[in-house]
Amino acid sequence: MGTDLPAISAGLSLYLKGDANMDEIKKAIVEFAESSKKTKFYFKDIEKAVQKVVPDAKMRDIKKACTALINDGTLIYFSTGSSTMYGLKGRGMTEDPE
Amino acid sequence: MALFEPKNEQKEIKYAEMRIYSDEELNNYTEEELKNFKIKHDIPDLEELEKGPWPSFVSDAKQGALHRRKLADDRMLIDRDVIEDMLGQLQVSFDDGETHWKHGGIVGVFGYGGGVIGRYSDLPEKYPSIAHFHTVRVNQPASKFYNSDFLRTVCDMWEYRGSGMMNLHGSTGDLVLLGTTTEQLEPIFFELTHELGQDIGGSGSNLRTPSCCIGKARCEFACYDTQDLCYELTQYYQDELHRPAFPYKFKFKFDGCPNGCVASIARSDMSFIGTWRDDIRIDQDAVKGYIAGDFIPNAGAHAGRDWGKFDLQKEVLDLCPSKCMKYEDGVLTIDNAECVRCMHCINTMPRALKPGTDTGVSILLGAKAPILEGAQMATLIVPFMKAEAPYDNIKEFIEKVWEFWMEEGKNRERLGELMQRFGLPKFLEIMELPPAPHMVKTPRENPYVLWKEEDVPGGWTRDIKEYRTRHKR
Ligand code: HEM
Ligand code: HEM
Ligand code: SF4
Ligand code: SF4
Repeated sequence: MGTDLPAISAGLSLYLKGDANMDEIKKAIVEFAESSKKTKFYFKDIEKAVQKVVPDAKMRDIKKACTALINDGTLIYFSTGSSTMYGLKGRGMTEDPE
Repeated sequence: MALFEPKNEQKEIKYAEMRIYSDEELNNYTEEELKNFKIKHDIPDLEELEKGPWPSFVSDAKQGALHRRKLADDRMLIDRDVIEDMLGQLQVSFDDGETHWKHGGIVGVFGYGGGVIGRYSDLPEKYPSIAHFHTVRVNQPASKFYNSDFLRTVCDMWEYRGSGMMNLHGSTGDLVLLGTTTEQLEPIFFELTHELGQDIGGSGSNLRTPSCCIGKARCEFACYDTQDLCYELTQYYQDELHRPAFPYKFKFKFDGCPNGCVASIARSDMSFIGTWRDDIRIDQDAVKGYIAGDFIPNAGAHAGRDWGKFDLQKEVLDLCPSKCMKYEDGVLTIDNAECVRCMHCINTMPRALKPGTDTGVSILLGAKAPILEGAQMATLIVPFMKAEAPYDNIKEFIEKVWEFWMEEGKNRERLGELMQRFGLPKFLEIMELPPAPHMVKTPRENPYVLWKEEDVPGGWTRDIKEYRTRHKR
């Protein structure tokens, strides 16, 4: 063994990338969720939708915006146990299935 | 130094101070009562499961059900009948050949996107006490080092606020608490974090609870500090653990050496296996000691019967998968370049052989269970990397993999499936890693690398039209 590996250049930067416009991204997320026929969204679909409106929005910023929307109660998580989706609180999702 | 060290000294949990139930309440039925006990539903198929040679969860569940029947009303916060209804509904599922659990829902504790898995019965009229029956995953302490005070405290809390049923340390490693109502989730979370000093674990599309072997705490084979790396990455990646934004689940597991006591190679998207890049250390006197019968081989494991005199040739040299060991004139030699680190010789003669001293990790990617495609073992991607705090090299590699997976992975696509879709050569190119023979099982039979013209000194010329005149598409 003893394979010499080249230095890995990417990474860590993921965490150091600056904040884009949080409010703009949050607005784009809510607008996407409100206009869609679906009630549950994968993160990736949210990411794509936001980047259509705010092209320079980074994945990490979109995640931060989602977390902020979760924390202020606008969005909620939906989980099957193996995968997780986001939805607008009070819109069509079975919050209480009874 | 690792970036994360525990901020406060670990609180010692004393069951005597934390307990909810008295000994009488915990042992509240007799063997005789258990033998005659019938739950309120007919469960003939489940009772079949009790008959085989193996311990049965049905028998365990019946004990729990009887125990709850005999507890006083104010000694449990969710319905007394949860276990009986769970068994009843399972019998109906057997009858119908389909599940009666609804898949998923909106439950969780505030701010966390994982660790609690919503489960609801779709027969709530018939089985009202399991209308809500959520699962809680508790992040196990590193190496599952905890004492019975801790375990008994968790058990009491769960009997009081949940069904009392749990399964411990399956593939995820977590302590899995089965069945409670939505109202109980926040109080359970509070007790776990504030009273027991234990976080809840991962579920859904996030980083799952990392898990490690006992490593340097107890095992002399450990080539790096598995507990330290597990703790460091658990703390460093809290956001990934609790706020899901991955395409699907992602698991880290840490084995200190190729013996693989947490089976990271089969059960994690990113498997860390301790290894060394210098030579296996040999104590020639101890080798002679084994031959002379001074030491019991395998450190006394498999000693249940007499296997006869230790035979170095038959039991070690002949079993070396790459046949790279020799014993001549009383000297054991190993051609270390050919050693595949199967650990067999070291396990057999631990006094005589030890891993080398220039140690680190191999990183393997892409194991998964069979949900899509088949089950898959991990593929070696990084043959060797140093593993020393604060592990910046490892974190950089992790994030590079995640960046690729989050960018290219489809919804619900595991890393292993994505690697398959792209193919190993392409994946290595993206990771900026050179292909190495260690990455395939039989490199000579599997020429998995397609060279590009610029990789080959002198390049080549190729007339594709001329080629097609001889080879139809
Ligand atoms: C009583 C017998 C049961 C056994 C032996 C059992 C066993 C398991 C095992 C081994 C796992 C993998 C978890 C891990 O590796 O940590 C698991 C996962 C799980 N179990 Fe069970 N389980 C039982 C009953 C239940 C019940 C009654 C429910 C809910 C109604 C349930 C809900 C779940 C959920 C939600 C998961 C996670 C699924 C995922 O990650 O996609 N289990 N179970
Ligand atoms: C050749 C046979 C098998 C292979 C290669 C295999 C492989 C795996 C792997 C790689 C994982 C972890 C990765 C993941 O969760 O995605 C896993 C998890 C699991 N396996 Fe297997 N498995 C095999 C057979 C079985 C069998 C026979 C059972 C049960 C009867 C079983 C039950 C489980 C459970 C309960 C989990 C945990 C799932 C979870 O954490 O959600 N496996 N298996
Ligand atoms: S994996 Fe290796 S280091 Fe870890 S406990 Fe097992 S034998 Fe020891
Ligand atoms: S670890 Fe395995 S492959 Fe390496 S020398 Fe020992 S028996 Fe041979």
